[in-house]
Amino acid sequence: MWLDVIVAGLTAGSLYGLVAVGFNILYRPTKVFNFAQGDLVMVGSMASALLITQLHWPWVAALAAAMAAVALLALLEERVAVAPVLRRSSNGTAWIITTLAVAMIITNLVGKIWGADPIVVPAPPPLSNDTLAWGGIHISSYQIALIVLTLLLVVAVERLYGSLWGKGTLAVAEDRDAALLRGIDPVSISRWSFALGGAFAALTGALASPVLSASTTLGGMLLLKGFAAAAIGGLGSNRGALVAGYTIGLTEAASALLLSPGYHNAVMLVLVLAILLARPGGLFSSLESRTV
Amino acid sequence: MNPSPSTTMAAPGPATRSVPVQMAWLALLAAAISLPLWFRGDFILFMATQAGVMMLVAIGLNFLTGYAGQVSLGHGALVAVGSYATALLMVDAHWSFWAAALAGMAIATAVGLVMALPALRLSTWYFALVTLTFAQVITDLLVEWRGLTRGFSGIIGIPAPAIGSHALSPVEVYLVVAGCVVLAFVVTRNLTLSRLGRGMVAARDNPLAATASGVSLLRIKLFAFAVSAALAGLAGAFYAVQKTVITPEEFGADFSILFLLIIVVGGLGRLWGPVIGTLVFFLLPEFLGALQSWRLLIYGVVLLVLMVFAPHGIMGLSLWQRRRARAAAAAPADRPRAVAQPVARLGLVVHDLHKQFGGVAALQGCSLIAEAGRTHALVGPNGSGKTTTLNVISGFVRSDRGSVMIGSTDVSRLAPHQIARLGVGRTFQTPKLLPDMTVLDNVRLGSFVSEKASALDIALGLPRGRRDRDEGSSAALELLHFVGLADRAEDLAGDLPHGQQRLVEIARALAGRPSLLLLDEPAAGLSMDELDRLGALIDAIAALGTTVLIVEHHLELVARISRSVTVLDRGLVLAAGAPDEVFNHPDVARAYMGREGTGGSR
Repeated sequence: MWLDVIVAGLTAGSLYGLVAVGFNILYRPTKVFNFAQGDLVMVGSMASALLITQLHWPWVAALAAAMAAVALLALLEERVAVAPVLRRSSNGTAWIITTLAVAMIITNLVGKIWGADPIVVPAPPPLSNDTLAWGGIHISSYQIALIVLTLLLVVAVERLYGSLWGKGTLAVAEDRDAALLRGIDPVSISRWSFALGGAFAALTGALASPVLSASTTLGGMLLLKGFAAAAIGGLGSNRGALVAGYTIGLTEAASALLLSPGYHNAVMLVLVLAILLARPGGLFSSLESRTV
Repeated sequence: MNPSPSTTMAAPGPATRSVPVQMAWLALLAAAISLPLWFRGDFILFMATQAGVMMLVAIGLNFLTGYAGQVSLGHGALVAVGSYATALLMVDAHWSFWAAALAGMAIATAVGLVMALPALRLSTWYFALVTLTFAQVITDLLVEWRGLTRGFSGIIGIPAPAIGSHALSPVEVYLVVAGCVVLAFVVTRNLTLSRLGRGMVAARDNPLAATASGVSLLRIKLFAFAVSAALAGLAGAFYAVQKTVITPEEFGADFSILFLLIIVVGGLGRLWGPVIGTLVFFLLPEFLGALQSWRLLIYGVVLLVLMVFAPHGIMGLSLWQRRRARAAAAAPADRPRAVAQPVARLGLVVHDLHKQFGGVAALQGCSLIAEAGRTHALVGPNGSGKTTTLNVISGFVRSDRGSVMIGSTDVSRLAPHQIARLGVGRTFQTPKLLPDMTVLDNVRLGSFVSEKASALDIALGLPRGRRDRDEGSSAALELLHFVGLADRAEDLAGDLPHGQQRLVEIARALAGRPSLLLLDEPAAGLSMDELDRLGALIDAIAALGTTVLIVEHHLELVARISRSVTVLDRGLVLAAGAPDEVFNHPDVARAYMGREGTGGSR
């Protein structure tokens, strides 16, 4: 029983952690928390699902196409909804409302075009969704792959920030003006971060669809779970996001067993509030705020 | 000279409006409220009551989002909490509507505060996401927690409000709702025009300026949230009795978004915004009918387009921008005796401060003493730790070691707004004004602490609140005279040139009647003329009995105005004493001219 909770918790937790990493990619250089991130994941999931199930594209090609498409969508979002309001006032919060509006537009547009029915997506071969029983553990080969791949992706993203581009991004996060004087262009960093965040969201979505199925409800759900993971883990910390993702996944699976599945959001909110009260910056906060 | 507060013309409000104008307003209001009563049938009345309920929520949300800058995506859930609490108390516990509505308000506020408290300490978007999660949780619980909420079927048979044995008719319920809307409008209007409103806007646009003026960011946000949650709870109570049946599906996620849309359409941070926004919504019913299935998509597009192109909505259109009456520079005073007099004479003793920023040792044992009521200067090359010292004294930076005594209070462990409340005013190297507020209101922000009226006095427009409003604005105008900017009182602070912004910031600091005034490079970027005025100004401030600590590179100015000088170099005190001795000290000359310099031209 409890082993099932752990498997379910780690599977869902990996996805929540990945969404939170997507938030981090955008947040670091832009200080914008993208309310449409969940819906970018959803579009990635829906687009790859349609390419795979209806047009019978190979899995990798569908993934690449979805990533490219969502990266463009995220760039469009940055141009239309984020850059104009940031230009007006960099410390304002208008972007909360504009990115939320983008999320509403995407959800409803995708719902209009592709319908509200969830699309069941098979696991990419040679993996499968059939559960294997090892001792008392019930787990599918896809779940194992997902958990391992998530760890690798987090390591890869961390490595990326060790590169020159990544260091430039961190410099922009630290001090936009000083970075500009060093010849780093914050505008281009912001755009690339949106594109990268979009591609990462599409990847997360494609990875999620064999487990969660592709549907328009993914967006709102993953926005909340991803936020919870980012807040608990400490915004900007990818390892924190992963640990927090597992924490939320496991708590959710346990509460479904002990209470009722309908209470998962309530349990998560209590968890988030408790952590924020005790450690406002989250568990692994790496961003320190500068004031004067 | 004897300044009389009643002669100033700044900030004309209804308090100073003439009686005929007030009567005209009342007549217009009565006509507007009675409009739905002229139609036959219950439908118009039902819709009008509904609009009133929505308006209550929108007024509260605009107070929170438009003024305090906290975007709530969960106000619909607060309405649901108020609604369910009222309905359950009336149906199950047989409470009267009035008691149940009060309880509903209290419960919505309490539940909301528990949710909001952790998030309000952090960036705005944490609050937005926590409220969004909260809305989802409430929607879940209304269905799941069947023992309390009766699940999908909801609560039926909610009785009409009654006075004694007389159950109110729909017309009477409408009038009660309309009365509540008017009251909510007046209360939020009074609050936004008061020191609390200025504190809220400052917390939104420039948290540093707010804190330096003694505003506790957390407390002011909690206050704004409590007011708006209480209004949402009250609206929920009326919602329940008006509908007589409430079910979970009425309070879905888009219910909260609807209120956000209303205030964005009407105009964020505009007094009439929520009223106009709600009316627009109810006057376009066919729009909602025919395009029902496209509704959320349209909401999203409208939100995006308005926030990008017209962030202040309908009320922000240039059509409504009345020409701001220029304040007559009537107040004659040039010496603000009564207003800028410090509360107490306080000396400053800084002992052995150490501060490390990562690998940089900004302070390695900084000490200084500023005698009460005198001007003391802190000088030194760039990067020597002057501003850090100022930030430690005012609490914006916490030192690793050492102590700061202001008067007899050790402030080393106090938060910046608490230090400001002790009578410490400060300016910043780059002026931190609120660009969208008038110069006068910027100065009045400084008197956040010294004005004494309570939130209740202000909200209900009681005499004490009105007195603060009138006296505060005449005092602020006097201070502007004092710094020579009275003629710009009604201009937006963002429109002033840099040098004048510095003077406004000094006036703002003086409005708090500081015992200790910290000035961070006030002369930077000033013209010769402005420089002379600054020197005279600082002398005049010291003459009032205020202790002044000035960080400045302009050594002639320092020599002229200060009683004593401390020279910092790389976080250490190089020399301290009277200006003459210090500036002739060989180490000082070397620090300024370079290590191998041949010495002292100054």
